[in-house]
Formats: sequence, C-alpha cells, structure tokens
Amino acid sequence: MASSRALMASPRFVCRSCSRQARNSNPYRRSYATASSQPSSQDIYDVVCIGGGPAGLSLLTALRANPTTSRLRVALVEAQDLSKTASLSLPPTQFSNRCSSVTPTTAQYLNTIGAWRHMQRNRIQEFHEMQVWDGVTDARIEFDLQPGFSASTGNVIAYMTENLNMTSGLLKRINELGGVDVFDASRVEKITLGEESEEMDLREWPIVHLQSGKSLAARLLVGADGANSPVRSFARIESRGWDYNRHGLVATLELEGDGWGGEYHKTAYQRFLPTGPVAMLPLPGKYATLVWSTTPENAVLLKKLPAKDFIALVNAAFRLSPVDLAYMHTQATGQEEELAWRTQHTPFDSRSIPQLAVGVQEGSIASFPLKLRHADTYIGERIALVGDAAHTVHPLAGQGLNQGQGDIQSLVKAIEYAVAHGQDLGTQMSLESYNSERYAANHVLMGVCDKIHKLYSVGSGPLIPLRSLGLKAANALGPLKNFFMEQASGRGLKV
Amino acid sequence: MSSPSLSRTAARLARSARRPIARHSTPTSSSRICQKSCYHSYDHPPPPGPFGTVDRSILAAAYKHIPEHGFSLRAIGLGARDAGYPDISSSILPDGQFSLIHYHLVMQRERLAEKSQELLKDASLASVNDKVAALTWERLMGNRETIHRWQEALAIMAQPSHLPTSLAELATLSDDIWFLAGDKAVDPSWYTKRAALSMVYSSSELFMTNDTSPSFLETRKFLDRRLEEVQSVGGTIASMGQWAGFTLNAGINVLRSKGVPV
Repeated sequence: MASSRALMASPRFVCRSCSRQARNSNPYRRSYATASSQPSSQDIYDVVCIGGGPAGLSLLTALRANPTTSRLRVALVEAQDLSKTASLSLPPTQFSNRCSSVTPTTAQYLNTIGAWRHMQRNRIQEFHEMQVWDGVTDARIEFDLQPGFSASTGNVIAYMTENLNMTSGLLKRINELGGVDVFDASRVEKITLGEESEEMDLREWPIVHLQSGKSLAARLLVGADGANSPVRSFARIESRGWDYNRHGLVATLELEGDGWGGEYHKTAYQRFLPTGPVAMLPLPGKYATLVWSTTPENAVLLKKLPAKDFIALVNAAFRLSPVDLAYMHTQATGQEEELAWRTQHTPFDSRSIPQLAVGVQEGSIASFPLKLRHADTYIGERIALVGDAAHTVHPLAGQGLNQGQGDIQSLVKAIEYAVAHGQDLGTQMSLESYNSERYAANHVLMGVCDKIHKLYSVGSGPLIPLRSLGLKAANALGPLKNFFMEQASGRGLKV
Repeated sequence: MSSPSLSRTAARLARSARRPIARHSTPTSSSRICQKSCYHSYDHPPPPGPFGTVDRSILAAAYKHIPEHGFSLRAIGLGARDAGYPDISSSILPDGQFSLIHYHLVMQRERLAEKSQELLKDASLASVNDKVAALTWERLMGNRETIHRWQEALAIMAQPSHLPTSLAELATLSDDIWFLAGDKAVDPSWYTKRAALSMVYSSSELFMTNDTSPSFLETRKFLDRRLEEVQSVGGTIASMGQWAGFTLNAGINVLRSKGVPV
C-alpha cells in the first residue's frame, strides 16, 4: 500500500517521464541520484539508524510514511530485543517508570506519521494545568490554559506517556508500513569507512559491523544511540557540557485519588527544592509518575528505604520546608512517623499540592545521573545525530524527548528535500538545513533549563527574594505566562 | 609568562615576593634589589636571610625571653647579654623590637621548610589542598609559645614603617606553603591562590590570639572552615570558567550551523 501511494505521490516532485523511468528500473533503486551506483549487494542501505528509542523509531516511521522517502532502503540496528517492546503487555494498573511528557506539537507529528493511533490511548494521560512553586519561599506560578486559548488541542498542556507505550506504538506502525530491515538484539561491533572495490567506491561511506558478522553500508548513518553515542565518536564530533552532580530518581506512585480536578482535569506539579526540582506528573487513574532530581547520596538513600518511608519522603518533598526535608534524609528509618508529626506543624494549602501518595509500584524506583551535553554539530559527511546523541538536557522542563522529535521532523524534511531534488541524501550539504534549523533552537532551550536549575539550587541569599518576585510577577502577568506556556507546550517561537 | 598588571600589584604589595617564573637577571642587580631570588631554584642554595651573624646570635638569644618580656627592647637587651654582648648592642638592630618580630617570622618560615619533608610524608595528605592545610596549621603552631604576646606584635607590624616588610613576609610565607605543598601551576591562579592563602592565614592567626580552647581546637576548625570557603569559591570560579568556555564554543557552533564560515 505504501509503495502504491508513493508512486501516486511521486509526480508531485519529478516529471512524469522521469518517474516512469524510475518505475521501470531496478527494484532496489531508491533515489534518483544513485542511478550510477546500483547496489549489487544486499547490505547497502540509504539510511541506517542505530538506536531503537523514540527518536530512532520515529525517524524510520516518518521516512516510511512519507511518500517521497518511502522507497528508501532503511535499516534499524538496536541492541535490545524489540519484540518485547512491541507487545506492551503491562496490566492497566502498572506503569513503566520511564515516562515522558509529549507536547501537543510532538503528538501532532506522531499522529501525522500514523503512530499515535497505535499507542494505547488508555495509558496516555493529558494534563491541563501546571503548578510550579519555589520550595524555599513558596512563591507560585499556576499555568492553567484559558478556554479558547488554543482550541485545536483541547487546552492540553502536554500528554504524559510511558516511553514504552510510544516505542511500542511506533514499532507497530513500522510493522504495518513494512520495509524496514530490523536488526534487533544485535550489538554494533564497530563502525568503519568502506573500501573501494571494482564496482563501487565506498571509501566515504560508513560501514556498520554487527556482532553477528553482518555489515551494513550506509548512505546516511543516523546516530540515535543515546548519550554515549558510538556514531558520534566515529564521526569525531565532540560533545561538551558538564555533570550536574544530581541524580534523577523516577518511580511510579499510587495516589489517594484521581487528583483534585477529578479524572478529566489533571494537574502536573513541580516544586523547586535546593537539591533540585521534584515533579509529580499524572498518569491515568490514581497513578502518577515521580521525577525527583536530587543529590547522588539522597538518591542512594531513597532507593534503599522501605516503601512506606519512601512514600513519606515523597509526600514530605511536596509539603515540608527544605530544612525539615534535609533532616528527614538523615534518618535511617521512621520517616513515616516523622512526617505525620511534622505535617501537623506545617501550614500548607492541600488543594495546591498533589494528593497524598499512598503506594509505590514495586521495583519502579530507579535513578540516573543528570548532565548537560551538546555536540559541536549534528551532522557530518554521511552522518546525522539526533536525540540524546546530539544533546542531553536537564529533565526539569520535560523537553528531552520533544527536542528529539523536533530533530526528527527537521531531519526528515532535509532528507525529503534531498530525495525530491535528486541530491545524494547523505552529503553534508543535504543535511545542512537540519543542523541550522535545530542547533540554535536546542541550544537556547538547554540554556534556559540549565539557568533554571542553577537559579533554584541556591538555598539562601539575596537571590531568593528576587527569584520569588520574578515568579510572582510572571504569575500576575497574563501575556508573559501565556508565552511560557506556549514554550512549554511546544507551540512557542521558533529560533 | 609575562607578568601583566596583576604582577605589578603583587609586586607593590610585596616587593620581594617571588613571581612564578621570572627572568634570570644579573646576580648583582637581583641581589641588590631584593636580596633573594625571584623564584624557588632547585639548583642554587637559598639566598642568605636579612640578618647578619651578630644579629642572628642576639635575636636567637632574645627569642627565649619573648614569652616573659614580649617582643620588646628589654627582651633584646637580655638576649644580647646572654649572647655575650653588652646590653647596648641592641642598637645595632635598626628596627628595634620589630627586628625581633621579623626574626620570628623568618625563623618560623625557614623551620617550616625544614619540617615539611617529615610533615608531608604522611600518606593521608594526598591532595595539594590537604598539604596546604597541614603546612598552614604547622606554621600557626609555630606561634604557640608566643601567642599571648602576638597581639602586641601585630600592632607593631601594622605600623606604617613596618607594614611593607610584614606584608612581604606574609606573601613569602604563602608562596612557600604553596611551593612546599607541590603546587606547580603557572596560570593566573598562581596569584589568586597566594592571595587567598594570605588572607586565610592572617585571619586564622588573629583568631588564634583570642583562642583559649585546649590545643587551639577552635583555631583548627576556623582554619578548616576558611580553607573550605576558599575551595568553594575556587569551585564556583572554575564552573563559571567552564560555562564561559561552553557558551563561547556553542556560540561558534551556532554560527557554523547557520552557515557562517568560522
């Protein structure tokens, strides 16, 4: 079905006679620029993507779904077994601990490439309101989309979903579209440059050697292989930045109710503590996902605590003062009783903080180090980096996954343009528009997240009344607040 | 390394303080100007101190009388008598009682250099910072016998005519400590490190004059707190430098991504 649609669509880009020629030529023919180098061997691909995370899968889905690029020969290399990922089979009361917020822009894109309808809708939770406050002064900003502010997306700020649900949806869509050679459960042994043979000259082409002995030559090698990207090291692209000396602790929580607004009006909460922001984001029903960035020592302690004390500390993190909280971190046990006593003496408005957590899903507590990294460039000759391989950001704004999806949109556009105009899609020149469109935008977003982290990690001093004043002012000024919200939901200005 | 205006400031502060790398000047002019080499040489013996043999013997003898008589002309007079010179010999010391203080400073500093070998053998002192802390503490302990008289000494040292020598001695001390601790940096941190240590040392010394805790426990804590502060400030400066480097790089990368040939 996809190929027939491609044929119907192709006259939009090339003249009829050319497309007729194209139809009659070799079945492995993929783009018009490659007429002189017909592949004689099966393992030459137009696009080889290393890494089957949300970014990599979304790239392949987009390429397959796009009529212009659907005839490219594409391959996916992934170290894990994807068949397990595809059949997401958790019961509805269990959620994976790795969740992401998907902005309406990203959701729209996933819908365009046809993956959204393959995701399990009952495992996606949209939220309409955000409550963000300063742990030291309690200065607060409330984001609440006004009716009519953005009718097209139904006043949704973002959708919370498990990464697993997203990858599973993308994989189902890829299976539906077909035509992707998937090498899953296979590790990349090394990446080298090709050699010149009698038939063709692959000296500038990256060859991916798999541990199974197979090797794939790539017209364009896409690195969607995470923060320690082997593709990036192969391309000798340096990645700069720093470690925050913080760990992001995630867990799936069960709350006492559906949230203050009921089942259909959910709120995301984020409190800035001097050790880092702690966020509780809604999942369907009574569930919520916790993202708590804290010091490595605290993360170790939190992971060791018994469930009831862990829950007590999580509830404390949204209620008690930073001093009380720091004290509770020094206790070896008994946080539950400590919280019960301390909440009697701490005034707070229970409607403006998340409902009490009553349970934590077993085995869902995990942590990972937080860092900031930005590659010097996203492209090289026959190389493109996307997602975490290109940039790693602090999770406080929940933008990491959306940045990756933004990269994909831009990269697919660049590839589509190259294919439609008969260019070689792997050359740096064809990819240049991707780098120029995304680099500055990502840099600005990363800088903003970094500054917010730094601003709120100050525990005392003259900065605190200033930042509270800033937050209150932003809360009082409607247009400014709308601007922030547009940014957060991905509808903001493009740099 | 050429020494920019920073070095001029440092030189004004401490005329004879050593700079990280100085040009080899002719021995005569160098010895005439500061009477010591401007760097720590591994190939030459250290230059002679500011005291002659007679001065030294009188002051060494007078040193024993400090706990009782303070940094006073009386102590020098008693010292001269002990050393076999007439009481009046104290007049060969042009600075009077300040000579005794100066002698104390120089002697304790030299003692530190001798003692450092033994002190730094301790395996627990792994980092340069630990070594600096140990050496600074050792130097403070050099004031232990005379600490009840040290406030007088500080008052004399602060007199305008003695201030330059006192500051020079302080600068030389912090330079010695960093050198003995094995710090070989020749970047701008050379100056900040010495300035910071001078500040920490002099404030700890002042704190010690009022410290009545057993074996100066409070002073030790005070010193550790100050050193920690210096390190956290150093850490902040380093991370700001890192950020500036990152931003500069990113700026270039953004320009490149937009097609500017840089």
